[in-house]
Amino acid sequence: MRKLVFVLGGALILVLAAVALSRDAQASRQAAPAANDSLLAPVLSASDTGRLKGPTQPIFFRHDIHAGQFKINCQYCHYSVSVSSEPGIPSMATCMNCHLVIGGTDSTAQREIKKVRDASNNKQPVEWVRVHYLARHAHFPHMRHVKVMGPNACGTCHGDVARMPQVFQVNNVRNMGFCINCHLERGVSRDCSVCHY
Amino acid sequence: MAAIAPPYVPKQTHAEVTRDVVATLGTPSRGYVMMLAAAVGLFLVGVVTFTLLLKEGLGLAGYSPPVMWSVYITTFVFWIGIGHAGTLISAILFLFRSPWRTAVYRATEAMTVFAVMTAGLFPIIHIGRQWIFYWLLPYPNQRYLWPNFKSPLLWDVFAISTYLTVSTTFLVVGLVPDIAAVRDKVSGWRKKLYGACSLGWTGSDNQWRHYTRGYLYLAALATPLVLSVHSVVSWDFAMSIVPGWHGTIFAPYFVAGAIYSGIGMVLTLLIPLRKVLGLEHMIRDYHFDNLSKLTLFTGSILFYAYAMEYFVAWYSGNPFEQTTFYLRAFGPMWWAGWSMIICNAFVSQLLWFRKIRTNLTALFVISVFINIGMWFERYVIIVSSLSNDYLPWAWGQMNPTWADWGILAGSFGWFGMYFLLFARTFPIVAIQEIKETIPMPRKRGGH
Amino acid sequence: MDDIETQGMDRRRFLTVLGVTGAGTAALSGCSTGRVEKLIPYLVQSEDQVPGIATIYASTCTECAAGCGVHVRTREGRAVKLEGNPAHPVNQGRLCARGQAGLQALYNPGRVRSPRARQADGTFKDITWDEAIATLASKAAEAGGKLAVISGAGAGTFSTLLADWTGALGGRVVRYEPFDHEPVRAANRQVFGLDSLPTYDFARARYILSFGADFLETWLTPIEQQRGFAESHGYRGGEMAKHVYLAPRMSLTGMNADEWHAIAPGTEAPLALAMAQVIMAERSGAPEDANALRGVLSGYDPEKVANEIGLTAEQIRRLAREFASAQPGLAVAGGIGSQHRGAAEVCAAVNILNYVAGNVGVTVRFGAGLPTADGYAAMAALIRQMAAGEIAAVLVHDANPAYALPRSAGFAEAFAKVPFKVSTATMLDETAALADLLVPQSHALERWDDLHPREGVRGLMQPVMEPVYGTWAAGDILLKTAQQAGGALARFAAPSWESHLKAAWQEIGRAAGAKDLQMWWVETLAAGGLYAEAPAPMPVRLAATASQVAGAKPEFDGDGAFVFSAYPTSMLFDGRGTNKPWLLENPDPVTKITWQSWIEVHPDTAADLDVREGEILRVVSPHGAIEAPVYVYPGVRRDLLAAPMGYGHTQYGDYATGRGANALDLLGAPGEAAFVPYLSTRVSVEKTRRYQKVAKTEGRNRQLGRGIAEAMGLPAARKGLTPEAAHHEEAGGAAHEINTERELKAIAGFAEEQHEAATKGNYLGEHPQWGMAIDLSRCTGCSACVTACYAENNIPWVGEADVLRGREMSWMRIERYYEGGQDGEPLEVRFVPMLCQHCGNAPCEPVCPVYAAYHTPDGLNGQVYNRCVGTRYCSNNCPYKVRYFNWYAYSKRAFPEPLNLQLNPDVTVRARGVMEKCTFCVQRIRGAQNLAKLEDRPLRDGDVVTACAQACPSGAIVFGDRMDPESRVTRAAADHRGYHVLEDINVRPAITYLAKVRHPVEA
Repeated sequence: MRKLVFVLGGALILVLAAVALSRDAQASRQAAPAANDSLLAPVLSASDTGRLKGPTQPIFFRHDIHAGQFKINCQYCHYSVSVSSEPGIPSMATCMNCHLVIGGTDSTAQREIKKVRDASNNKQPVEWVRVHYLARHAHFPHMRHVKVMGPNACGTCHGDVARMPQVFQVNNVRNMGFCINCHLERGVSRDCSVCHY
Repeated sequence: MAAIAPPYVPKQTHAEVTRDVVATLGTPSRGYVMMLAAAVGLFLVGVVTFTLLLKEGLGLAGYSPPVMWSVYITTFVFWIGIGHAGTLISAILFLFRSPWRTAVYRATEAMTVFAVMTAGLFPIIHIGRQWIFYWLLPYPNQRYLWPNFKSPLLWDVFAISTYLTVSTTFLVVGLVPDIAAVRDKVSGWRKKLYGACSLGWTGSDNQWRHYTRGYLYLAALATPLVLSVHSVVSWDFAMSIVPGWHGTIFAPYFVAGAIYSGIGMVLTLLIPLRKVLGLEHMIRDYHFDNLSKLTLFTGSILFYAYAMEYFVAWYSGNPFEQTTFYLRAFGPMWWAGWSMIICNAFVSQLLWFRKIRTNLTALFVISVFINIGMWFERYVIIVSSLSNDYLPWAWGQMNPTWADWGILAGSFGWFGMYFLLFARTFPIVAIQEIKETIPMPRKRGGH
Repeated sequence: MDDIETQGMDRRRFLTVLGVTGAGTAALSGCSTGRVEKLIPYLVQSEDQVPGIATIYASTCTECAAGCGVHVRTREGRAVKLEGNPAHPVNQGRLCARGQAGLQALYNPGRVRSPRARQADGTFKDITWDEAIATLASKAAEAGGKLAVISGAGAGTFSTLLADWTGALGGRVVRYEPFDHEPVRAANRQVFGLDSLPTYDFARARYILSFGADFLETWLTPIEQQRGFAESHGYRGGEMAKHVYLAPRMSLTGMNADEWHAIAPGTEAPLALAMAQVIMAERSGAPEDANALRGVLSGYDPEKVANEIGLTAEQIRRLAREFASAQPGLAVAGGIGSQHRGAAEVCAAVNILNYVAGNVGVTVRFGAGLPTADGYAAMAALIRQMAAGEIAAVLVHDANPAYALPRSAGFAEAFAKVPFKVSTATMLDETAALADLLVPQSHALERWDDLHPREGVRGLMQPVMEPVYGTWAAGDILLKTAQQAGGALARFAAPSWESHLKAAWQEIGRAAGAKDLQMWWVETLAAGGLYAEAPAPMPVRLAATASQVAGAKPEFDGDGAFVFSAYPTSMLFDGRGTNKPWLLENPDPVTKITWQSWIEVHPDTAADLDVREGEILRVVSPHGAIEAPVYVYPGVRRDLLAAPMGYGHTQYGDYATGRGANALDLLGAPGEAAFVPYLSTRVSVEKTRRYQKVAKTEGRNRQLGRGIAEAMGLPAARKGLTPEAAHHEEAGGAAHEINTERELKAIAGFAEEQHEAATKGNYLGEHPQWGMAIDLSRCTGCSACVTACYAENNIPWVGEADVLRGREMSWMRIERYYEGGQDGEPLEVRFVPMLCQHCGNAPCEPVCPVYAAYHTPDGLNGQVYNRCVGTRYCSNNCPYKVRYFNWYAYSKRAFPEPLNLQLNPDVTVRARGVMEKCTFCVQRIRGAQNLAKLEDRPLRDGDVVTACAQACPSGAIVFGDRMDPESRVTRAAADHRGYHVLEDINVRPAITYLAKVRHPVEA
């Protein structure tokens, strides 16, 4: 009869386990980066944004062109990543530094760049759709991670952005398991109050 | 030779017993319907209150720091306690072969199951973020997070789930032969229903052998729970450092209290039920007399426990304990403190008199007092101890609000609803055990 | 070109980077899934704003006339906290509760959001600035000489501009401050022939006599004085000054006194003169010109005056002798709460007392010239003019006389007679509500400005952020109006107030002999102003009029049984604090009441009247009546009833309007008096038989001998005794209990186990062990730390209804315990700041079923909000009751737009149903650690300062690493006065309290 109790209890736990694990499975399913190996960014038109991974942005900004093809350092735009917990979003002025002169080669590029110029002229900042963000009760100091893993560590969490025509979430950074796994592997602190306060 | 039948033997033949019991499942009496309606009504009150709690927050209840637990935990402990009498009567008295239990044990066992079901809701109702109550359960997750097995609250989770599982099984198993008996008496869809529930019981000698063996094991399994479950519950308090909670006496004290309150509830339920279902000739004064004795016994243990609490507080010389107990008797909550002592310690002492033990009206009144008293016991232990612990500046009283009473009422509705439905759907008196007590009718020629 | 570069404010133009900062109440723990977030970039990245890093701007506090320097912490272009400016001579890095709450004036939902004009139907309608300026210009021009301006006390470039501007039109400015300390100045005129306020050096004083001057709360410059008081009265190296408080009511200042004598109302002057007489009679060494006073003083022999004062002649003699022998001493008078009709005489008498004791020029220093306005007399004159219809237009700036004056003064009626009334108020206060035109000025944190509170101190203000609403700096209003009106005003041609101010500062710069003006300007701006050495005290001699001092008893209106005292509280001040939830929720340090007004009644009086706490009493004076609940308070005389000022607003935003009763309603018209006498009526009481539960945070106010707020006598402290030893010695050597063998074993066992635990997982290795030391001999209970904690940690206020249920969320609270006070013993008050003790052996940790409460490797008692399910077991098991539960979604209620802009992005805003508590400002710890890591250096002592320690004006709180033997906290905790609250239960708190030290009590 004691068996009966164990069986029932066990069953309950298993069910819950199944639920929990299945959720995590989807959560941390890794999406493969865009499928071209050369750093030469593919020619795409704004109409392609729909079928590309990741949210469609108000301006079809091509990380694969800026960071990939032209090898612009991440920190040129994300200027505060190495000193602050926030990576920093480039101000419209930063865009204009180049795009005062660079008008784009193909029609798509020209159309998109015009949007940037208009935004800057009308003092109407572009509202980018956020791809990576954490719950507000988790504090992630970018600078600590860049300090330890070097300025090119971005990919560890953000994936190979330099090959993404449109940025999408490679790792579910909102999933605490993702953080914990890394902290486990590197044997760094797993004390709750390091991130949660 | 004409043996005098012992007082617990109904003056009926086997056939009559079955007939009478099955009769209880017939068209319900008016009284029954009214009681059921009342129960459902109360239950709805509880549902509405809980919905509001989910929407607005626990602030609706009367919590005022430092009193962080109050009516909900009180009621939780109350219901858990209720359950114990059932298991005691159905399992322990079974093992002790005390035959007078036969008529009442089914009712008490059912009471156990529903009481624990009710109690089980409260830990969920009372937490701040009810929607994540499952975090209290140990389940593997990608965050490598586990609950804290050091916390008495976690022990609770296990104690209650175990208790619910075992007592439910015990009840169901005990029911099988009776359901079969009913099946053979009814017709139509009900025959199908009971047929399914009776798990193909034929009453073959072979089945009986396994059945009795299995029932015995279950009883043996349930018995330790009577002691363990409420001990664990008592440790929710005893393991803390709150003056008035932090006592080694708590486990036995709570177990005794649990059984005491449980029997009180049994009486409160059986006395009217017996009338409503017309079981006077099976559940008889004799049974109530025995129940009363049990009440008297556990009540006296409680009396002793109360006395001890005060003695220890005084003898320990611990100023915090002393203040707590002084205020329990003469502080702002003196009324609660004294109603607990009077209802539990003193009222039960009336049962020394046989006249009172056998007078059902008196007994019913007393049993109600016991229920009230035991609820107050938990209320006093929890609220008054929290109201004034270590830091005088933080002292404060709490006053319950409609949200507290709403949930309390709801719990009674929820419990009553199930109990009444059960009493109408399944034999509330154990047919086959009653029959066992009836001597075989002598046929001519005999065999 | 050495001109100061004039940049517009678009230099600091910002757009809050919503997604990035986690601003606003959306940042609830555990509820941020499935929301599409936007990233809004800056248009132009300002060089002094880095997202995620706080930018500090120096500015000046405008919440009272003291002019403290503040540091404004901004994040992503929003001011998120006000802190003291360490470089500023007045407050030296400290800031009081009122000052910090300035933030809630900036973000107050009740602010006037645009210019508004009164319409025919009496309601206001929004108008454009152009319309407003046009109206103002024409009206001002036509009013001409019949223009009057009512402005606050603040002196600086603006007040000069305002004076010139008004002068150009031929009008006049009345600078009005409710608490203008006219009696002090009158006395200085009479005794020393000086019409100014001295500075008082509390730090040097060895013996402080306060004749009702509440120098720790509302009198002159509270923070500066509290700092000085902590220096002299805080115990150090066997020495501490003695503080005697002489007033009918025990204020917070009185609670911090070693002796309190409840003298009869209005008898301060004879007492002071009697003491002077004793000193003159018994000691030589008084300045020889004091001999001129012997004549007057001879009339004040202690025997003669003792009775009316309510002291024995012997007591007077003792006080006089102690005062004279402790060199230097300091006597102060002129507190608002005891400002009766004879207040000027009192101050004169106290001047003489100081003079004969040789304190003038030592602890009483003339020459700095504290800020003053024109006094009530000027206001009274203006009221008469307005009533007579001699005024065509009034501009009200930084003043609210319609509320701050007793109704009987008739301001509102006279004001109504003026055809055109303008107000620059930021909130719709009582005066603004009567105006015809509202031209809301920007808050001090949104505009350029400066303040000249005293000689040698010039504080600067700069716009630290975009104006929250479309408001203008008052300077711009004046200049634009001038340019519109032309004519006499044409000469005010500066393109903007900013350029005008900077031009003015160029002159200052040149005067200061700055080589590179641009460089000098940047430095000055960064320092928050220009600070010179305090001027040397000017030599002071007795004036001829000195010998005319008199100790005449002031008369009181009416013939009620009780004298009535209306006093300002340290939270609401003159009522300008009542619109700020932080100040309403932060309990009054004396009564611990929140959100309500009250009437203080002595226990015996309460017994005689047969009233108890919460019974609503109707107090009737010849001039009016108020109703408020009774608070039974042993700190008032039996014949005195006291009520706080600041309540009973009829306007001034939702938080203030209709809250409590206005104590000023009981006062009569000051008439020809030079000041408003707040202690001038006799009142009778009527019982209403109605009750109102008092929303106080006080539970039981006695310690029941549990050793929570320890104190020891000075002799014991000098012997270096521990609180326990001192207790036994003073209690007459009661037997000292020794732990039994078994207990000691158990305790040792705990220690081992914890050591064992510290060798596993995260706990392995070297970690700092954060700890705190709180010196109770410095703590005055002022509660600045409480507001600091609210501001730093996004603590929601819960409001009156929930305070009544004891649900206030104050992570840090000041407990106030009474000692004695019964059967003739003197009443002693002790304060204990109570916050999470971060126990090493914390009872809350093992009982949490989900590890939401747990111990961090660096010795904190961690609380993980997003893990908490809210069983509340931790709070039940917390012996200090410092854990607070979110019964509702308080944070939603407490931070309505735009108050949510003030939320600290480094701290999670807690959701409903979770437990929260003091974290030792873990966000500051992590911040400091991150910085140290970036700079490849270990943490240094002092890198982490908790919000409470930073704010504390007394410097009573020290925070640091207990593992570092050199750290300040380790050294402080090693003091022989150190003890833990509830030490016996072995929870190993990380906070060490240093026992209070008191002078032996004498009859």
